[in-house]
Amino acid sequence: MNSLERIKAALNFKQPDRVPVIAQVFGHAAILAGVALGDYARNGELLARCQLQALQFYGYDAVFALMDANVETEATGSILTYRTDQYPVVKSYVLADGTDLNTLLLPNPWQAGRMPELLKAVRILRQEVGDSVLVVGCVLGPMTLATQLLGIEAALYLAIDEPEQFAHLLGFATKIAVRFGVAQIEAGAHLPMVFEPSASPDVIPAPFYREFVLPSLNQVFTAFKQAGSAANWLHTAGPVTPILHLYPQARVDLANIDFCVDPLDAMQALPQTCLNGNIKPLAYIEAAPEEIAAESSRLLKLFANRGGFILSSGYEIPPESKPENIAAMVTAARQEK
Amino acid sequence: MMDLLVKALLDGDQAQAIIEVRKLREAGVQRRQIITGGVEAAMTQLDAKCTVEQFNLLEIMLCGRAATGVMKVLYPLGALPPQTKAAVVIGTLEGDVHDLGKNIFKMVLTAKGYRVVDCGKDCSLERLIDAVEQEAPVAAGISGLITTIIPQVLQMKDKMAERGLGHIKVIAGGAALKQATAESLKVDFIAQSAFDGLHYLDQIVGVRHE
Ligand code: B12
Repeated sequence: MNSLERIKAALNFKQPDRVPVIAQVFGHAAILAGVALGDYARNGELLARCQLQALQFYGYDAVFALMDANVETEATGSILTYRTDQYPVVKSYVLADGTDLNTLLLPNPWQAGRMPELLKAVRILRQEVGDSVLVVGCVLGPMTLATQLLGIEAALYLAIDEPEQFAHLLGFATKIAVRFGVAQIEAGAHLPMVFEPSASPDVIPAPFYREFVLPSLNQVFTAFKQAGSAANWLHTAGPVTPILHLYPQARVDLANIDFCVDPLDAMQALPQTCLNGNIKPLAYIEAAPEEIAAESSRLLKLFANRGGFILSSGYEIPPESKPENIAAMVTAARQEK
Repeated sequence: MMDLLVKALLDGDQAQAIIEVRKLREAGVQRRQIITGGVEAAMTQLDAKCTVEQFNLLEIMLCGRAATGVMKVLYPLGALPPQTKAAVVIGTLEGDVHDLGKNIFKMVLTAKGYRVVDCGKDCSLERLIDAVEQEAPVAAGISGLITTIIPQVLQMKDKMAERGLGHIKVIAGGAALKQATAESLKVDFIAQSAFDGLHYLDQIVGVRHE
């Protein structure tokens, strides 16, 4: 089996030749290649080259065309600060100064901000790996994008004070996610991962999630499926156990679980959904390779009977992680029969 | 009499809280009394309710906003600042955009009678220390959610000492920092929550908990 076939088997609860392993290597690929993070985040060709190098180095099963959490908000008009060795940060949110949402234009993925560079990265990655390795794109989920257009506090207050206005904002964010994600599929992504940290129970309670976030995610994932996405991957950080059982209503096929989630709880909440996770991100910096190997084996054993599992970190692998720790996780998956 | 204000604050109802404050003022209640008996009392109740497991972020945000609104009514711009317990300088360091936790800490402190100088998010160490120098706070608070800012945290105390500010306490909080120990980060205290940070500050300024 090649990587893509292996992942598809896991997604469908079929027997893969071995458990697939996806290291969530984003900015770490730049560091590994000796490239500045600030350049990596702005240049699609460079990003693709670094991702391919990291793929060759580690031999895991997926590559990512993912820059940072600010691509969509920048394309809509927010101003960012770029630095050499860090991900860019938002300097001013496009809606923070009272700008009317109705005056904003839906960004065109082929023209706006860094969106075209990200599409370029997708195209190159797919050209290079074809259907042997999973090519993952990335869009922000509607809730996270809403918080990135207005600022997180203002967005939460808006949701409480003026729910209709907030729903309107979420609708706009949903349209951006659909358009950008579909463009990624057209450019060659097997699937656009939906990155939705601001919908974490760390931030919003479950009833809020059910009322506002779930319907928007459903719209996004329905559109992705129609456009030919290989699977719907939802990525939310933090203690997601109280919302996991809602994921099928959003048509999620693959659910990321963070390190603070008990895999047994996740299996119970999502008996028919493939899970990926959940090694502690910080461990890739602090732990020794033996510890990562041991944690990987523990997870592989835990899921051995059930299947529907992809070995992975609980969240992004921090850019400054030790390569031997990432390698230890990949080796664990490769050696397990 | 103060009960209605406390209830409005705990309900997170800013408009009602402001109505209650106006009534209290018309009845001749002192501003200082409204703060201790109303705003601080509400915060103490919220504090007691919030444990690490039971932590409703939106509830705290709403209560914090209502309290901030009340303070603005009591001390509108230009009015004499309330007699504060002490000043605290806070910020999120360069490269980190997560600011929700810092903002909650700010609201909690403000409602508990501290004067908070907020250096915002993505703030350089220099700018934070400049503010410490200017404001003479009892402590500087750093919020850090991503690990990449840890090298900056490690320099904080030394850089403050170089400028003769070594006596000022440094406290830290947020997802990336609260996993570490105070010694390993070279700070004076690591707060597990905003209230945890408040308790530490209360202790160093000598506030007694009844
Ligand atoms: C929401 C969120 C975002 C939002 C932030 C919006 C905003 N303006 O704040 C967005 C989408 C922008 C975002 C972006 C990213 N994120 Co993020 N995000 C989160 C998430 C899910 C919740 C954070 C939050 O707001 N929590 C709620 C608040 C209230 O909690 P809190 O901050 O801990 O604060 C409480 C206490 O800690 C305390 N406190 C906080 N600060 C202080 C300070 C003092 C002095 C005191 C006394 C107390 C105190 O008070 C609060 C109340 O008690 C966390 C997950 C998590 N578990 O933290 C990830 C998380 C912080 N993100 C993470 C990452 C990796 C990122 C990105 C790098 C992803 C990417 N590749 O682009 C970017 C970083 C961008 C940047 N340069 O900073 C990682 C960081 C891990 C690491 N190894 O460093 C986390 C931990 C997720 C994870 N499980 O790995 N994220």
